[in-house]
Amino acid sequence: MTKPLYVHVVALCLVAACSSSAHQAKPVDPQQTPRGSNVNPDAGLIADFKKRVDEYVALRNKAESAATVDLKEQSKPSEIVVAEKSLAERVRSQRTGAKAGDLFTPATQAMFRRLLKPPLGKGTDAADNKAIIKDDAPAPKEVSFKVNAEYPKETPLSTVPPDVLLTLPALPEDVQYRFAGKHLLLYDAKANIVIDFMLNAMP
Amino acid sequence: MRTYRPFIAVLTLAAALTAGAAAQDLTLPNKAKDTLKFAVIGDSGTGDSNQYRLAKVFTDIFPRFPYEFVLMLGDNMYGGESARDFQRKFEIPYKPVLDKGIKFYAALGNHDSTNQRMYKLFNMNGERFYTFRPQMGVRFFALDSNYMDRPQLQWLEKELSASGSDWKFVYFHHPIYSSGGRHGSDTALRDQLEPLFLKYGVDVVFAGHEHFYERLKPQKGIHYFISGGAGKLRRGDVGGDFTEKSFDQGYHFMLFEIDGNQLHFQAISDQQKTVDSGVIARRQVDDKAAPSVPAAPAVKPVPPQDKPSGNKPSTSTDKPAAPAPATTKPAAPSTAKPAPKP
Repeated sequence: MTKPLYVHVVALCLVAACSSSAHQAKPVDPQQTPRGSNVNPDAGLIADFKKRVDEYVALRNKAESAATVDLKEQSKPSEIVVAEKSLAERVRSQRTGAKAGDLFTPATQAMFRRLLKPPLGKGTDAADNKAIIKDDAPAPKEVSFKVNAEYPKETPLSTVPPDVLLTLPALPEDVQYRFAGKHLLLYDAKANIVIDFMLNAMP
Repeated sequence: MRTYRPFIAVLTLAAALTAGAAAQDLTLPNKAKDTLKFAVIGDSGTGDSNQYRLAKVFTDIFPRFPYEFVLMLGDNMYGGESARDFQRKFEIPYKPVLDKGIKFYAALGNHDSTNQRMYKLFNMNGERFYTFRPQMGVRFFALDSNYMDRPQLQWLEKELSASGSDWKFVYFHHPIYSSGGRHGSDTALRDQLEPLFLKYGVDVVFAGHEHFYERLKPQKGIHYFISGGAGKLRRGDVGGDFTEKSFDQGYHFMLFEIDGNQLHFQAISDQQKTVDSGVIARRQVDDKAAPSVPAAPAVKPVPPQDKPSGNKPSTSTDKPAAPAPATTKPAAPSTAKPAPKP
């Protein structure tokens, strides 16, 4: 009982089609997303950056839970100062190997520079945004560009315009973007330390 | 020399009485009950003699006008933030009213560290941005304009939408409308906040950052005050198309009294002079229920005692909205009764 030749041909076509379909279902590298796709081309980099930030926050939370003095609402400012410094010290001790670029990796930095171009590049809005940052931002010499360094209390924190904050990857509570000159800081507002920094971030 | 002594004593006494009389010259209704009284200070935390001089006027007026709480518009602490700084720049100058149990509700300025939110006497409950309702029908929203991120904007919209027909006061550090030459309007912030203010019927907005006093012409129906001169002063910096009234020749604070649908205000200088005063009518509740772009209510001014600075050409890059209807007749002089002791 041999089957006719056309049956074999149809079966072969079906196998080929299934094979092709299976090949297309493979995960897509976000960096190779074709133009016109709805997928954010930076999704992979953003996810990587967020993962690193989340790891830092987990470390910070762990340090906080182990702290002898809680950083909570206090009547005595001295207790706030002690708790903040104690938290910063604990974070430092758990990040002894941390270095610049751990969170702002080279690939992430390239993405940030790209993202910062529309709100801070050229045009009236960009000029306004830059003026707002420049208005309050400390000069680079006023801030220590060292991972885990304390942010000087006597130095103002730069205002970061909403346009910039709505453009950059969202951050968890108490982790903030701040500027010093043209440089971008990743700042822990709770422990008052520099988590990481990116030089010449501003276009 | 002896012959002049009685004369000098009389002169000193006369000066003291004159100063006292000026300090008592409240233009506010100062009703004994059924009103809500509060005060506003901005850019206060220098710890220097200027802050202390104004703080004295500010606390001296309390027995006559017992404000129930104080809004702080940011830059609560310039420079260091050691325990000693908290005392020198806040607790000591405002001790007379702190001792009476008066609460201060702070917003963060660019000179303030985020952890000021943990300081109990700033009543921020550990939050950068928060809301409180001192009495039924009146709600305040404190924002962190240094860092207006998505979570804060989402929070503000949620809270504003839930606040119904309350009087709505929003305060933060950076002014979205300003005639200041040094800073001017923060238009990027305005782009984010103003649509929410309009949509949900915000009545009054307070900001600091600029070291002067400015009452702006209502912008799209909303009243804006800049009050950033409780510890810093930038003379000759204010004036332009936005300005309804301004003062940059001395330090100042503000007093407010909500009486039903009217908000009475008075700005007082370190020389104990009234630099501005008037009455703002609340927007109609219907406007809030169906917000569009309501007409600006009129402000009834009370003639100031101090000469405000003259208007200068605007240094802002943007144009003001259409001005409010012309100001009407001056409010009646104060017939305030002595307030009861708190």
